[in-house]
Amino acid sequence: MKWLQRHIRPEQVRELSLLLLIVAAVLIFGSMIDGYYTSRTFNRITSSVAIITVVAVGQTLVVLTRNIDLAVGSIVGCTAYFTGAQLAAHHGMPPVVAVLIAMALGCVMGAINGALVAYGRVPSIIVTLGSLAIFRGILIDYSGARTVTTDSLPKWLLELPRLNFVTIGDLDIRAMFALAVGIVLLFQIGTSFLNVARQFYAMGSNPDAAELIGMPARRIVFSAFVLSGTLSGLAGFMFLARFGSITVEAARGMELQVVAAVVVGGVNIFGGSGTVFGAMLGAIMIGTLEQSLFRLQISEFWRDAILGLLILLAVASDAVILNRLRAIWARTDLKLVARDSASPAEAKR
Amino acid sequence: MKKLLLATAAAAMLALIVPHGAKAQSAVTGGKAVDMVLLPKFLGILPFDQAHQGAEEAAKELANSKKLQYLGPTPENSVAGQIEIVTNAATQGVGAIMISNNSGDQIVPSAKAAKAKGIKVVTWDSPIPSAEGEDVFVAQVDFSETGKIMADMALSILGKDGGKFAILSASPDAANQNAWIDAMKNALKDPKYSKLELQGIVYGNDQSETSYNQALAMVDKFPGMKLIMAPTSVGIVSAAKAMQDEKLCDKIKISGLGVPSEMLAYTKNGCAPQFALWSFVDLGYLSYYTAYALATGAIKAEAGASFKAGRMGNYAITKDPTRKAGLRILMGPFSLYDINNVEAAAK
Repeated sequence: MKWLQRHIRPEQVRELSLLLLIVAAVLIFGSMIDGYYTSRTFNRITSSVAIITVVAVGQTLVVLTRNIDLAVGSIVGCTAYFTGAQLAAHHGMPPVVAVLIAMALGCVMGAINGALVAYGRVPSIIVTLGSLAIFRGILIDYSGARTVTTDSLPKWLLELPRLNFVTIGDLDIRAMFALAVGIVLLFQIGTSFLNVARQFYAMGSNPDAAELIGMPARRIVFSAFVLSGTLSGLAGFMFLARFGSITVEAARGMELQVVAAVVVGGVNIFGGSGTVFGAMLGAIMIGTLEQSLFRLQISEFWRDAILGLLILLAVASDAVILNRLRAIWARTDLKLVARDSASPAEAKR
Repeated sequence: MKKLLLATAAAAMLALIVPHGAKAQSAVTGGKAVDMVLLPKFLGILPFDQAHQGAEEAAKELANSKKLQYLGPTPENSVAGQIEIVTNAATQGVGAIMISNNSGDQIVPSAKAAKAKGIKVVTWDSPIPSAEGEDVFVAQVDFSETGKIMADMALSILGKDGGKFAILSASPDAANQNAWIDAMKNALKDPKYSKLELQGIVYGNDQSETSYNQALAMVDKFPGMKLIMAPTSVGIVSAAKAMQDEKLCDKIKISGLGVPSEMLAYTKNGCAPQFALWSFVDLGYLSYYTAYALATGAIKAEAGASFKAGRMGNYAITKDPTRKAGLRILMGPFSLYDINNVEAAAK
């Protein structure tokens, strides 16, 4: 037990229990749905999780700094539509340029949010609630109520969702899912080991202290929003590839799924704790639930209600269970410290 | 053959073009200023855009100095949004409202209020089921015909031995969708279609993502399903893309009502061998003429009234045989699309 407490933090206990919950959910759905354990189910869940995960990584960074980005759904919709419209007009555009356009547009939108929150000192929930509506409004105006249709898009884009990264047995790991996992790894390593990235945690744990010790508080918050926007832009490109026909409604309401993924994944809504990896687990949990509930043909209304319930449970469990766990850990830490200082030799052993 | 016109639909149309009895053709004279509102089910999809185009064309021809207002709700707010727009239009006191109704009979109170203020209420694409509050419905095709067409397409794709199929509809409130599905269920009673088995109906709410996911869910939900019939232009494209992405086009075909330019790729690769539609441009054009003729007093909303709708020729108002009450103008005909003609139609 003490060994466990020394090597595993309470947050990791939470992530482990989420992993167990996912396994439990899969087992339960497997017993309810005939032919659930197929490569198709796996494909379907991973394909839908891929997009949410990429957005959730950005959202994690924002939430870590004690802020929230509600505009992500609108950013995904705008970038998907705009990139689609550009690709439809210029068929010869190289794939890399298309991805860059999507990310650049997302970056600009994120920067607008970030500037208002960090330098304008407006609470992020207000800023992004506003820009959620404004970005969607701009999209409706720009689109002239027209749809980006699959037939107008270049072939390589439409084949992207089917592209396999690697095939293990019956299971295809699609390129888009591999990309999402790659991004999670990149940011997980970054936020664990890079000084610059650790500042996100510092800002969220105690903004005043972070500023006092000379951290560039505004720049940290600003860059969290810029990264969230840029990743949403990338997700917009993936959204375009997956669904092909993009209406002004694209990705509306995605912020609910993303915030749910982040919170269920154990990122504290009050900032300062949680990991990118946890957010991915949250996204997988939600993707599994969503796709499985689709299979049971449960109405959309109930699916949203279940998402809402999950958010509430996650936040409540954070408040109650995680705080207890932390208290236990803190107590044992104190004891250990006390004992260590009493007999340094034993501690070394 | 560029377009396969359906003999029955064409015959029905011919019967309508012949002037009824002694009533003379009413002349629709242009140049009058009438405030008119074109209200689609919601904004952002191609067919309604085309209807808007057609209506603008008619507005130009009739030299209406008042600009046509093209107002619509967003898809997730369609029902409440439509009622709000009709109520606002009534308050402003426009001359005519043209509605593609997505709100079932829930729109009746607001439509009645508009009518009470002397506003002409013309429905197009999708009528008010009870016909209360509505002057006349401009029907794109005969609704019972739609059921037969869908059954015919299912049979021609699945072959003589038939098979299992399921329907991917738009929203459960869409009057036209429900009428078509009922008509198809009726048609299926014919022994000719005895080999076709309807497994169920699923709703994708005319949203690409929902329709896409629902189509995939249908594959698992309905074992042995060989065909998805989607009488909605959003549903049919999303379902076709879903089957293509999951490499299921060999086992499961897509059919229904779709826009040729959106369906081109799927018809060419065999995912959607056959589908049908009518011209939404013409539907918008005819609806505008009808509403304008009513609002300027050129015709009255009663059975037997007839008028000349510009380039489309003569039309008459008749009792609507597909609803208990209500009047309609029948446009028609259906166009069937397959590998032979889809490319030409997509241009």
